Amino acid sequence: MFKNMESLYDLYKNKGYSRREFLRSIMLLSATLGFPPSMFPDVVKALESRPKPAVIWLEFQDCAGCTESFIKSTSILPADVLLDYISLEYHETLMAPSGFYAEESKKEAIEKHRGRYILVVEGSVSPKDRGVYCTIGGKSNAELLQEAAEGAGLIIAVGSCASWGGIPYAYPNPTGAVAVSKLLKGKEVVNIPGCPPIGDVIVSVIAGYTITGKPPELDSLGRPKAFYGQTIHDRCYRRPFYNAGRFAESFDDEKAKKGYCLYKLGCKGPMTRNACATIRWNGGLSFPIQSGHPCFGCSEPDFWDRGFVYTPLSVVEGGFGPKEALLSVTVGAALGAGAAYLNKKLRGGK
Amino acid sequence: MDVALYDFVRGPFLRFALFVFFLGIAYRFFRVVFLGLPPDYARPKGNPYYMAVKKILIKPTMGWTFNEIFSRRAVNYVGGFLFHLGFIGLTFLVPAHALLWQEITGLPMPTMPNIISDILAYAALGSLVVLTVHRALNPVLKLLTGKDEYFANFLIAIVLFTGLLATRWAGSGYVWLLSLHMLLADLLIIYIPFSRLSHFIYYFLSVGFMGWNAGKRGVSF
Repeated sequence: MFKNMESLYDLYKNKGYSRREFLRSIMLLSATLGFPPSMFPDVVKALESRPKPAVIWLEFQDCAGCTESFIKSTSILPADVLLDYISLEYHETLMAPSGFYAEESKKEAIEKHRGRYILVVEGSVSPKDRGVYCTIGGKSNAELLQEAAEGAGLIIAVGSCASWGGIPYAYPNPTGAVAVSKLLKGKEVVNIPGCPPIGDVIVSVIAGYTITGKPPELDSLGRPKAFYGQTIHDRCYRRPFYNAGRFAESFDDEKAKKGYCLYKLGCKGPMTRNACATIRWNGGLSFPIQSGHPCFGCSEPDFWDRGFVYTPLSVVEGGFGPKEALLSVTVGAALGAGAAYLNKKLRGGK
Repeated sequence: MDVALYDFVRGPFLRFALFVFFLGIAYRFFRVVFLGLPPDYARPKGNPYYMAVKKILIKPTMGWTFNEIFSRRAVNYVGGFLFHLGFIGLTFLVPAHALLWQEITGLPMPTMPNIISDILAYAALGSLVVLTVHRALNPVLKLLTGKDEYFANFLIAIVLFTGLLATRWAGSGYVWLLSLHMLLADLLIIYIPFSRLSHFIYYFLSVGFMGWNAGKRGVSF
């Protein structure tokens, strides 16, 4: 009970971190969330006094990649503080209890923190055939979701599977997978898409809720504008090469090594909204484009079914090459000749 | 939503537009060829083939004869030159467009940097506006202009404008503007074969035919 009342600052003190280190983290968090500098004293006060958030993390049709991304998020909070701060009351991959005890602890947490806890959902939900394709403790995933969503203060769908349906939703979608928001009509769901999403973004959204008591400002698809307001292309460090018309022709060629734009290799950065190019991964070390691979737009809806990973964005999806051009010219020629013949015939050969 | 529209305009709709484009171009050409010309038994007064080639080669430089043509039609020549230079440059050499042509033709295409494409886009758009206003005000051109020309000018202008906006000024509306640009470009691709814009393909044929006719009659152009 007492442990749950700890604030972020208490945790820093208990772990032996200095106040300066605490303030540095808060400054980074404020900047990441896009808060103005004038809000800094309020943010510090909130994280000094407010108890750490209770989080119930449900996993449905997922690969636990989002969890991996979350626990490896160390840009903002140190790893030992992060896992203590975000009080994971229930998380199948990370919690110690299992079986009946795990389900009981979830029930207790829901009652104890009703109206305040943050529900994080990882993976898509499968309501098809009464939910038989994903059950936990004898209950279907759709039922578990409704049960947990009812008393939640904030609902977050992490990853492309929870946000849009993702890989399980991809054709032919045998389990009838859907996005979390599809089953929670009338409730606001914060989507943090990506495969996986950036861990620091998940941490920031959760911490932001503790500070403001409100969900972040969202775009029309339910994504926080602070992180999904711009395309990767807008912030890409290879953008000057795009502007200069300099492109890598193949992976690892001289041009790619010089940092030329990966557009020709199929980069989807121009229409993918995410913060990869600014926050980056592994403590700001790198992101796919920096490692030489084009972005394939994993945070956009239906990215898997779009299926044109290595073809440039501007070319026709489904292909239109010389063969197709020749075919349409042949059909056009036949139609033209036919029309001319009919015209002549109707005019009596004149 | 915007990405779904983007996928549609760069996928099935662009495919459809290209099919219609190639089909329409071939349809018009073969219809005219098979209809043929009425028989003409008069002996040519000049050299039609020489004049056809000459017309193709010297037409772009005809405005240089200052006293005869340029002094009276400067707006047409300067505006027309800037517009066509810009439009053709943008159509073929903007990286995103060049890659599309590369896919259609199977041939490698050069690309141009943004700074050049920006200059071309401003030049083409500005000159198109001037040419349209000139067309609407000039007493002779006004009589030669129908709804087709105004519609074509409007469609091309809006394709150029949305392209320029998407590249330079879109901000967070980039995907919407790009999708709108591509949707309008798809419509333009469909419209070209069935309008006077078909000179996009038939320019050399029609200019050559004019020269051939002049050669046949033994007159200058």
